[in-house]
Amino acid sequence: MAAESKTKYDRQLRIWGEQGQAALEKASICLLNCGPTGSEALKNLVLGGIGSITVVDGSKVEAYDLGNNFMLDEESLGQSKAKCVCSFLKELNDAVKAKFVEESPDTLIETNPSFFAQFTLVIATQLLENSLLKLDKICRQANVILVVARSYGLTGLVRISLKEHNVIESKPDHFLDDLRLHNPWPELKQFAKTIDLSVTDPVVHKHTPYIVILVRLAEKWADAHDGCLPSTRQEKKEFKDLIKAHMLNLDEDNYKEAIEASFKVSTPRGISSHLCQIINDAAVQVDSTSPDFWVLVAALKVKSFLLLVFKVPPLISFVL
Amino acid sequence: MASWSQLEAIKTAKVLMVGAGGIGCELLKTLALSGFQDIHIIDMDTIEVSNLNRQFLFRQSHVGQSKAKVARDAVLKFRPHISITPHHANVKDPEFNVDFFKDFNVVLNGLDNLDARRHVNRLCLAAGVPLVESGTTGFLGQVTVHVKGKTECYECQPKPTPKTYPVCTITSTPSKFVHCIVWAKDLLFAKLFGDKNQENDLNVHPSAGTNSTNPTEDVFERRADEDPEQYGRKIYDHVFGYNIQVALANEETWKNRNKPRPVYVRDVLPDKLIQQNGSLEKNCVTEESAVSAMSSLGLKNPQDVWSLAENSRIFLEALRLFIEKRQKDFGNLAFDKDDQLAVEFVTAAANVRASSFGISLHSLFEAKGIAGNIVHAVATTNAVIAGLIVIEAIKVLQGDFQNYRMTYCLEHPSRKMLLMPVQPFEANKSCYVCSETPLLLEINTRTSKLRDFVEKIVKNKLGMNLPLIMHGSTLIFEAGDDLEEDVAANYALNLDKALAELPPPVTSGTVLTVEDLRQELSCNINIKHRLPIASRQIASSRNKGGV
Repeated sequence: MAAESKTKYDRQLRIWGEQGQAALEKASICLLNCGPTGSEALKNLVLGGIGSITVVDGSKVEAYDLGNNFMLDEESLGQSKAKCVCSFLKELNDAVKAKFVEESPDTLIETNPSFFAQFTLVIATQLLENSLLKLDKICRQANVILVVARSYGLTGLVRISLKEHNVIESKPDHFLDDLRLHNPWPELKQFAKTIDLSVTDPVVHKHTPYIVILVRLAEKWADAHDGCLPSTRQEKKEFKDLIKAHMLNLDEDNYKEAIEASFKVSTPRGISSHLCQIINDAAVQVDSTSPDFWVLVAALKVKSFLLLVFKVPPLISFVL
Repeated sequence: MASWSQLEAIKTAKVLMVGAGGIGCELLKTLALSGFQDIHIIDMDTIEVSNLNRQFLFRQSHVGQSKAKVARDAVLKFRPHISITPHHANVKDPEFNVDFFKDFNVVLNGLDNLDARRHVNRLCLAAGVPLVESGTTGFLGQVTVHVKGKTECYECQPKPTPKTYPVCTITSTPSKFVHCIVWAKDLLFAKLFGDKNQENDLNVHPSAGTNSTNPTEDVFERRADEDPEQYGRKIYDHVFGYNIQVALANEETWKNRNKPRPVYVRDVLPDKLIQQNGSLEKNCVTEESAVSAMSSLGLKNPQDVWSLAENSRIFLEALRLFIEKRQKDFGNLAFDKDDQLAVEFVTAAANVRASSFGISLHSLFEAKGIAGNIVHAVATTNAVIAGLIVIEAIKVLQGDFQNYRMTYCLEHPSRKMLLMPVQPFEANKSCYVCSETPLLLEINTRTSKLRDFVEKIVKNKLGMNLPLIMHGSTLIFEAGDDLEEDVAANYALNLDKALAELPPPVTSGTVLTVEDLRQELSCNINIKHRLPIASRQIASSRNKGGV
């Protein structure tokens, strides 16, 4: 991305990052009818750096259009509305490729359905239901996303129609701190064994990483409970008490952290039914045309454990 | 669509917009399209490139011009016959007094800082004009309505103030990257390029106590003949090496903390010492505008997280470029997030310090966001919020108070709603701004000076800009430039006195009246003397019985 656009897009890059921006810049949008709703929608996309727009509208600019569309002024009267809206949008961001088609969307839907296959997404405004139904079929066939919008005075509606939408980089608000404490991997178990929990030096005692405390005490618990980890409310409380009992004095932050995180030891195993549904979906039989998402799911199925993206908690970062 | 009475109310309304930025552009457009014909806009800013992804009334060619004026021109293009009056000024300026505000039927805020919002809130209360407030951050936003006598004022609910950090965390014991940024920006950058007379905690160490006249203070002064690169290495070694070494000597600080590790140029960039003057000529930059350590060193991507070595190179190169190209600004420079070289310097410095303290490093992009307090923003949210503002404004103009709503724009639907409307609350009876409730202040009147009271309490906490302080009928302080010499001198003397030493003395039981005439806000503060901690302990042990 050129330095210039990095500055221009700085504020939105901080929301969706470079991948999000790249996705925007790869996309091509088709707007059907450039009334106020459609024009305003395109404005927001163009400002953000959408790859390309194609405006389809067969009408000419009339006096009443000047009342509700700020992209038109007196000089636009009599000209193609699509052409005027396009040239205004081009001024907003000249990195966006803008085209217009002076044609009624209804006609296009009727006579040239293959026109829509080239787009990532179609925004349909001011269309009646029969046209919309035909358009929906066309878009579904061509795997194009359809967004329908209508507005009347102070009310309006938006509907989205698409077959499937998958997201790989979901950018969660927080990362899972999951080190699978209910079933620690061998190296972590080994490492935990090397730490003496009952060391008497108070400085060393309060520097024992809380992960180690949990791994060791979970093991101790399991040994006393037929190999089971705390699961009932009472047991979870007792497990917390067990941790507390190991504290030398009240200001040990590592033990406090262990108590706060003690629930992680009880995390149920297995995966949710929702996840099962995805893993067992027919789309998992991937081929060269499959989207990345399904390829990843197929790989997951083969490997049969979940790769979790996690951040190593700071307390043990110097250890690992 | 709208009823006849609504259209009438709109046509005859005189509206004040405060702010012509992200929300402002969308708002002005929507107001014009909705039929408003008399709009005033106040905005003190000029247009920047980073505005262009959402402030759609502005073009690349407008960069540097007044937002209020360009916005007006852009809207007049499609609504040539309405009246839009731009004010390229600060809303806190004296011309925007209560009489100015009284002229409007409604005030619409599109601001980006708490200070200005509080100021406008008070003026609207004083003028009896309804206020529609708003704000956006990324995909979040809200619109709130404030009508005196009917709803809460903007300050009835305390608003979160920007985060500040304890001085020792910044100077000695950082644990987060943001602490390193504050150190790099407010201490190191300020020390090297800012006002030399400004107090600076850079060389204060936990064991040294208060600002002592440190003989190594000279290390920051560059002699005229001192080679810039050598100077740079000297500074690097001083702040990242020597200062850390000194701090480590104080065992007490590190008893419960991970110790930092001192970093020296010779360890990180061993080859740097071999390079002497002239070897960097290939990176000679001729244009002022292209002065950048990144381009000098061929580091292209601001989203990359540089290694300690790369950060160190950027640090030294940025410092060299400052000396060679920006010398004339030294003593005056304040950190500006749009100053590429400053951002590079602060990023690099923060990263080297972070590395020392075992804190993770960040990219320039991230560091800039933190150092510049950058708020993420898109057009869409602003457009939605602007629409909601106009809807509320129309209700306000018609006095339709049963239907006033606070609307919250959420990032994810809650109960299947992306827009959550809530009825406004009644005014908070203990709000000192709109309900004239007296405040209680516990303060050590023997050690706290009047100056502290004015700066920290009256201006900072209470948000008054030009305060006036009275003790009974005696004026003990007045802010302002137009005071007579002897009066001003008297106040200057007062500022340096402890509260208990003022004429007349301020002690427990005193009621001080604090006012800001422009905001028309008056507040009574009951003073209670607070004993220092040690004597409090003694007092309480006495109370326990015995001595």
